[in-house]
Amino acid sequence: MLLSSCTFSEIAKSLQSADLAALPVLRIAILRNIMLEPLVTYLRYAAWQLGLNAQVSVGEFDTIMQEALAASPTLYDHDTAVILLFQHLEGISWDLARNFNALSEERVQAEVERVSNQCSQIIHALRGNSSAMIVWHGFLPPIDPALGIFDDQTSHGQGSTVHRLNQTVRQTISTVANAYYIDMGRLMARVGAKHFFDARNWHLWRAPFTLAAYAEIVQEECKYIRARVGKNKKCLVLDCDNTLWGGIVGEEGVAGIKLGLVAPGSVYRELQQQILELYHRGIILALCSKNNEESVFEVLDQHPECVLKRQHLSAWRINWQDKPSNIRELANELNIGLDSMVFMDDSPFEIELVRQALPEVAVIHFTRERLYQIRQLLASSGLFDTLTVSQEDRSRGRMLRAEAERRQLQSASTDLNSYYHSMAMQLVIRFADANSVARVAQLTQKTNQFNLTTRRYSDADIHQFVQADDSEVIHVQLLDKFGDFGIVGVCILKHAPEQTVIDTFLLSCRALSRGVEDVLLLQALRLAKMRGATRVSGVFYPTRKNSQTEFFYPRSGFDAAPPLDSEQARHFVFSLDKELPQAPPFFAAIVSDIDAL
Amino acid sequence: MQETIKHIVADVMEVPISSLNDDSSPDSIAAWDSLKHMNLVLALEQHFSITFSEEQIAEMMNLQLILLTVQALAAGH
Repeated sequence: MLLSSCTFSEIAKSLQSADLAALPVLRIAILRNIMLEPLVTYLRYAAWQLGLNAQVSVGEFDTIMQEALAASPTLYDHDTAVILLFQHLEGISWDLARNFNALSEERVQAEVERVSNQCSQIIHALRGNSSAMIVWHGFLPPIDPALGIFDDQTSHGQGSTVHRLNQTVRQTISTVANAYYIDMGRLMARVGAKHFFDARNWHLWRAPFTLAAYAEIVQEECKYIRARVGKNKKCLVLDCDNTLWGGIVGEEGVAGIKLGLVAPGSVYRELQQQILELYHRGIILALCSKNNEESVFEVLDQHPECVLKRQHLSAWRINWQDKPSNIRELANELNIGLDSMVFMDDSPFEIELVRQALPEVAVIHFTRERLYQIRQLLASSGLFDTLTVSQEDRSRGRMLRAEAERRQLQSASTDLNSYYHSMAMQLVIRFADANSVARVAQLTQKTNQFNLTTRRYSDADIHQFVQADDSEVIHVQLLDKFGDFGIVGVCILKHAPEQTVIDTFLLSCRALSRGVEDVLLLQALRLAKMRGATRVSGVFYPTRKNSQTEFFYPRSGFDAAPPLDSEQARHFVFSLDKELPQAPPFFAAIVSDIDAL
Repeated sequence: MQETIKHIVADVMEVPISSLNDDSSPDSIAAWDSLKHMNLVLALEQHFSITFSEEQIAEMMNLQLILLTVQALAAGH
């Protein structure tokens, strides 16, 4: 949750009810020459989100030097983990901040030296007194520099001078262990100067910043804290369809997906590029996708605009198993903790499933609303940030992939039934009618993956099936707590004396792996029985994309039968004198025209 | 609005809501110092999208006065 999306009162309210006492303590000391009290509330809230109980002590106004040099400091001790330093330029050098044009070049130089020496003294004194992580907040650049537009034209302007001062302090910090520099100018740029400063607060309280500024500052500080306490993430697990590219490769083919230089394909290409930036600083990449493995690698290996390649991946699970099991397998294979993984997916179903089954895995939900923001969201999350990036980090992906290839896979299972139950899934099974003919025809034309016979039909064809005495068309609609999926599955039956033939059986890829197909098949078997059949015949015609349905009939209790017309086709029969299979137990409701007959 | 304001005051001062009444002020709530008053002002301004004047900030020194001031500003006076 981004701090900037919560109000101060909401944060204060959450903290009131938080059980902080149960969490490990993180002692933070703040040294400052400005008022910034609301920051403490944001900080405690953000620490709580990281599973820490922040105990923050704030130094008296403008006592940085005294606290740093104190022989027996009261603000921090050996238990203090983090020291935050806020040195506002107005407080340490009014001349450089507000009286710049009155100063000679020599005077400016002397002032820069005085201030940087003082900063260096503070940092070194703190380092001598404490082993805490020191976080220095750099001086803010002038918004409207003293020399106006000429300021940018000279290296002696106010902007250049503050920049030089910051460079000097950063140089000092780089030589001090466990000390870090935050570029406050960048934080201000993210928020915008108009929303970062509040002149009234400055004049009334010597508090220069807005609540939005405190939120942004704390968001940044938290990246340091996360890295310091080892809660930074190491592995990004990615869905494929509608995450790495637009559309569904199993349906639309490599040429049909959206990925390239023009919108919306450019969104996915730039996201891939951002993911590669993570890869090149040592973040492990893995795929977890409900797909045919060949289709996914066809994109990675052959799509000209796909910048993410097979060699960037350390591991993958591209199959029809549930994603928590797959993610657990990936963690074992990569030998990393679940708490160091981030899972990114477009489906609210998968996100919710992982959130519930594996709460230690962080999730990024790539919603339609975030289409154009997603790259930025990933870049600004700070989830993967580390305090250093080494050469070893840069080659970690390759190393891990080699190791992974040597390891045996383990499978794990999660209590799926209870999860499915929590989704409150409802099914509505109806006979096709004039209102649904077009949707049914469309599904026969578009569905490739879960489609046993892949027969394409027009509206007129479906209409014919509905009208004819010897055929029936049923369809299933899926609803869950996230919304209505509409009609997602179709079954077309042809009745002959004794035998009913399943002409078409398909399920939209949006509704896979939820047991919907089992209910639809059961309804078809019941209908056949009511129509007087003694057996039901089903055929699997293999295509390049429907391999996941190869064992659907035998898995559902059908027996292998002699081949029919084609050699590749596999023929199965269900004998209706035996007991029908049970419907999955986890649906909240199943409403059926067939049960009502 | 009265209840919302009361809740915000309690949350910002970090005291139970039950400890507040109309007369609650820096004199009766130990946590209500000038720093917490600043936090309270900023929280109320953000929550209700209002801006207090310097006089209002200085004068609204008990729950009843805060309520009246926020109500007046929220009503556009």
